[in-house]
Amino acid sequence: MPNHFLSVEGASVSFGKRQAQVHALRNVSQSFERGTLSLVMGPSGSGKTTLLSLLGCLLSPDEGTVFIEGVAVNGLSEAERTTVRQEKISFVFQAFRLFHSLSAIDNVALGFELRDAHMPGRMEMAKNLLVRFGLGDKLNQEPNELSPGEKQRVAIARALAGNPPILLADEPTASLDAQAGRNICQILRRQVDDDGRTVVVVTHDPRWQEFADRTITLCDGRVEPMEKNQ
Amino acid sequence: MKLAWQNIVHDRARFSVTVLGVSFAVFLMVFQGSLLVGFLRAASRLIDSSDSDIWITARGVQAFEFGTPIEGRVREMAAGVPGVLETSRVCMAFAVYRTPNGKQQVVALVGADRNVGTRFPVPGASGSAEGTPDAVFYDVSDRDLIQVTAMPAEVEVNRHRASIERQIKGYGAFLGVPFLFTSYRNASRYMGAGPEEAMFVLLRVDKGYSTSDVLQNLRQRLPEVDVLTRDEFARKSRSYWTIKTGAGGAILTAAVLGFLIGLVVVSQTIYANTMENIEEYATLKALGASQAFVARIVLTQALICGVVGSILGLLAVVPMIGYAKSLIPWIYTPWWLLLFMVVPSLAMCSLASIASVRSALTVEPGRVFRA
Repeated sequence: MPNHFLSVEGASVSFGKRQAQVHALRNVSQSFERGTLSLVMGPSGSGKTTLLSLLGCLLSPDEGTVFIEGVAVNGLSEAERTTVRQEKISFVFQAFRLFHSLSAIDNVALGFELRDAHMPGRMEMAKNLLVRFGLGDKLNQEPNELSPGEKQRVAIARALAGNPPILLADEPTASLDAQAGRNICQILRRQVDDDGRTVVVVTHDPRWQEFADRTITLCDGRVEPMEKNQ
Repeated sequence: MKLAWQNIVHDRARFSVTVLGVSFAVFLMVFQGSLLVGFLRAASRLIDSSDSDIWITARGVQAFEFGTPIEGRVREMAAGVPGVLETSRVCMAFAVYRTPNGKQQVVALVGADRNVGTRFPVPGASGSAEGTPDAVFYDVSDRDLIQVTAMPAEVEVNRHRASIERQIKGYGAFLGVPFLFTSYRNASRYMGAGPEEAMFVLLRVDKGYSTSDVLQNLRQRLPEVDVLTRDEFARKSRSYWTIKTGAGGAILTAAVLGFLIGLVVVSQTIYANTMENIEEYATLKALGASQAFVARIVLTQALICGVVGSILGLLAVVPMIGYAKSLIPWIYTPWWLLLFMVVPSLAMCSLASIASVRSALTVEPGRVFRA
């Protein structure tokens, strides 16, 4: 019986038409178990980000099914998919994607607001998250006043606002130096070990291997048969 | 909505341009609106100043300024209609005025009986000085044209002796020709009209009678003239000056142009602002923001610009209108116009943000993975 906590079954995605058509994913089936950290690796153009977009309810497959917490999300309306993202999924991006005009604490508080507009004590919870990530002295700094490592920690804090069970990260250490990158790896690993979250990381960075439970390698839109289990 | 406010505060230059666009549009709309309201008010000012219920004019008279004589018997017949309490006469004609220093000037000479109304500027009417038999009043805004340095001043109107005895306010030149006000007797003498002739016969209706009944009765008895209520004649006069001469249309067009120019400026800046932040809207959507949340941010930004721009526009236009009064005495800004203009300015900002809202709502959240 397949695990439908977070999975794709027979998913194919293509972009463009006729001669310009690119097959980003071809009949991919993969399950991601609850409370694990999975890496998705592969060369550029292999379909890693497309797979992440499917898992994040940002894209629907041309064929196949995407399951999130056991629910097939393909047929959902845009508003329903938004609700799924609100309640269950969070993202960490390579380019951080913090809101440039908001301070660190406001960025994180906005993460809480997006999940529940009426949630009381957002600022206090945002502060606690930032303090937990060693940013207690940067609460009121704007993104352009933070180092790349600090920005990524703020972005992770924002992603964790509202306690989503699934965290999807796209090249989260690509813009960081070795120390900052390792720090981010540790933080995401703790999300699995301490909070039981399911984390999927798309990366080229081999440093991640020691923190992952499993690695999926994609090539030309297909899963490579060799899967490395940590 | 902190994000909406912070986006604005963060990009002050763009905010300033947007606010400037709204201010400019509000300034133009209020200024042109004041010209239009003032023009409408001036076009029927003398009619509105009378206490009469009914005006009788020669057939086809379009405006107060273009009255033509009607026979004296009309007044006598009207006085005999049941319900008519009192009659009075008003006349108006262009005349040649000779200043004390000998210069000549065309004036609009208005004569009226004393019982025409307490607000009507006529020598001897209640609240107004009796003056000498030749007493003439003029509006203070026409001082440069009338060229009187001290009062009383001996002048000539159509080669008849007259005495400028008083300055009044609020009845300035509407057509670029100053008004001179005098008694009906004097005016008809200056115009060379017969003593019983009138251009306008004004009637007051007894309280026990309905104005519309009296009006109907008069229309039946006097088919050769136009019988109108005061408001009807005021409306007719305003309609003539604003629509038939095209003057009002020109002012209205300028006000609408102000709105449209403001709309374009504001649309462009709000749209550019939205497109600059389009990646952030994509991020918001990826993080689970609803369409309503995203639309609210764009609209809030637009409305903040609208409110700030409106306030600045109003702050700029009020003193400017004060200054303009010295050049355009009839310009008039009622308090409701200032409040009323906030509505189109906010509507303008909301309209301007429609394209932006569309862009923000249709942005693909999936683009968040593009570095």
